[in-house]
Amino acid sequence: MAGRDVPALRLSGISKSYGKVRALSNLSFEVAEGRFFVLFGPSSVGKTTALRTIAGLVATDAGQLEIHGRDMTTAPIAGRGVSMVFQSFALYPHLTVYENFAYPLREEKVGREEIDKRVKETAAMLKLSHRLERKPNTLSGGEQQRVALGRSLIRRPRILLLDEPLTNLDAKLRHDMRAELKRLHRQFGMTIIYATPDELEALSMGEEIAVMREGAVVQRGTPDELYERPIDTYVAGKIGSPHMNIVKATLAADLSGLDTPLGTFSPARRYASATAGEGALLGIRPHDLRPAARGEAGVVTRIPLLEPLGDVTVVSVQAGGETLRMVLPEQSATGLKPGDEMPVTFDLNKIHIFRAANGQAMT
Amino acid sequence: MSGKVSILEALGFRKASGVGEAGWGRTLAAAIISFIYFLPVLFIIFTAIKPQDVALSVPPTLSPTSLFGLIPDQFVFTPTLENFGSVFERSMTVGGAPEPTGFDRYFFNSIVIASSSVLLALVIGTLAAFGFSRYPLKGNDTYLFIILTTRMLPAIVVIIPVILMFRAVGLSGSYTGIILLYTAFNLAFTIWMMKSFFDELSLDVEDAARIDGSSDVRVFFKIALPQVIAGLAATFVFGLILTWNEFLFALLLSGPDTRTVPVAMNQAVSSGGRGTDWTLLAAIETLFLIPVFLVTFFLQNHLLRGVTFGTVKR
Repeated sequence: MAGRDVPALRLSGISKSYGKVRALSNLSFEVAEGRFFVLFGPSSVGKTTALRTIAGLVATDAGQLEIHGRDMTTAPIAGRGVSMVFQSFALYPHLTVYENFAYPLREEKVGREEIDKRVKETAAMLKLSHRLERKPNTLSGGEQQRVALGRSLIRRPRILLLDEPLTNLDAKLRHDMRAELKRLHRQFGMTIIYATPDELEALSMGEEIAVMREGAVVQRGTPDELYERPIDTYVAGKIGSPHMNIVKATLAADLSGLDTPLGTFSPARRYASATAGEGALLGIRPHDLRPAARGEAGVVTRIPLLEPLGDVTVVSVQAGGETLRMVLPEQSATGLKPGDEMPVTFDLNKIHIFRAANGQAMT
Repeated sequence: MSGKVSILEALGFRKASGVGEAGWGRTLAAAIISFIYFLPVLFIIFTAIKPQDVALSVPPTLSPTSLFGLIPDQFVFTPTLENFGSVFERSMTVGGAPEPTGFDRYFFNSIVIASSSVLLALVIGTLAAFGFSRYPLKGNDTYLFIILTTRMLPAIVVIIPVILMFRAVGLSGSYTGIILLYTAFNLAFTIWMMKSFFDELSLDVEDAARIDGSSDVRVFFKIALPQVIAGLAATFVFGLILTWNEFLFALLLSGPDTRTVPVAMNQAVSSGGRGTDWTLLAAIETLFLIPVFLVTFFLQNHLLRGVTFGTVKR
């Protein structure tokens, strides 16, 4: 098992510009073999360029790309052992589903019988056996997506790149395909790099997530790590739904207290890097806010808006000119109505404090 | 009824049933306008099958049939195929023996010159168009613009320098010369047409093929080219029609052996001091119409239908 510790993929300091537009800026990350790795960030943050760089479709300006321990920065596309599913599906419109599946194998000069066998296996696995003679434009969106997946899987790549593969599907199909992709990952055990702007997809599928901003990775970690310990307000605002409440605050002179429009709080721990009187931002997850029990101290708030979502209700509460969002189980929210007053409280162990100057989490 | 396929459908026409969604009024308007467009061609075809002495009669005869008595007898003529025979063989002097006119050669010339130059332009132009579309040069648009300048002037403006150039290299009067010239002229049109077809294709599809292991050459032949077959057909037909009918360059650059039909037509009907032989002219024109008509007819399915529709989500 030589190379058990060698990452499937390592990008070091990759940069790429298109004219004056910087697509990737010193992008570095590693992906362990067999990992379901998500590149997460809003559109035009460099996710697609990163995937295209790994595939070899984009020549980088600087940096190094290693695949399974070998330098592949300038290697030709074929031979990287990488497959890719495009957001647009990019099926061959003039070829039948059968020929779409067979294409990568034909290019690899696989024998006719082996091709036939593998096309039929792949079609059966993706429930496309009855569609083999059809052209892509006669298929539904979900079927086209499965053809795109099958065409990528048929070569049994060690690394599979998925560029927002579910964006063009409707909500129900997306849900089914998420499960399908996880199943395929378990079945084949290949390394998957999955680019998405969708937080739900990132959190529900990714074993590890890299949050991207302006062509670089801001923070990398498991979904829990990103949720529990966001490195800055950008990550805090991207991960978790509804998004984290952020309130302007000031650190007291003795660093023991935090002055906010909601009142003064004493954080559960000391922040060594903080300076007295420094501007700060207090972050509280909507799930960490709760109504104060009878007799318990709490911030008195007024409710301007209730958003029932079925099992939970998102309650907006206002105090000191700030509006916070709070998630309550549906039964705790019954009886509440806009205009009500409600004391709310939160666990001081679960707050996040960021520097106002640059949004970085305080340590 | 449903199991049957009519002859027209078998030949590739779409099934015609009733008046379609447009309704009677629009269908009638379209029919009238089409008829007006077709009228000159119809007139030529009728003239080609008129006896020579009837061709210039006043009032003119209008139809080879009385349409079940609809058209008065004085406007009806008796059709003849005699004129087609005299395209290829006729007496050149009054009362003289019939001689071959050489028109078999001229038709052969027209077919060889037009089809080879259009095909040559299609091959070179399609490759060039793919290059312009996928591997743009610095100043790509400038080159495209310059290519088109050859088409911006009437042929007569550039004919003198072109003749001098062809004389200088000894190409005037040869097949090579006229084919090269037509190829060059068709190239401009072909590149612009094909580039717009290639520009429409999804680049992701070609990148997918690269990831699947295709070289750039195979991406072109296996992926891009099959998607623009409709464009190839359209470009071929339009190029063929332009080249087939070209007169001025052919007149000045073809020799006696390489003469094309438009040039020969002009000489056949306007020489001999007997005035214009209208039925002969119409017969040549009718025969001249057939090859282009057939090519267009057989390519029409490709002209009407692209293959890329609906395959890529945007």
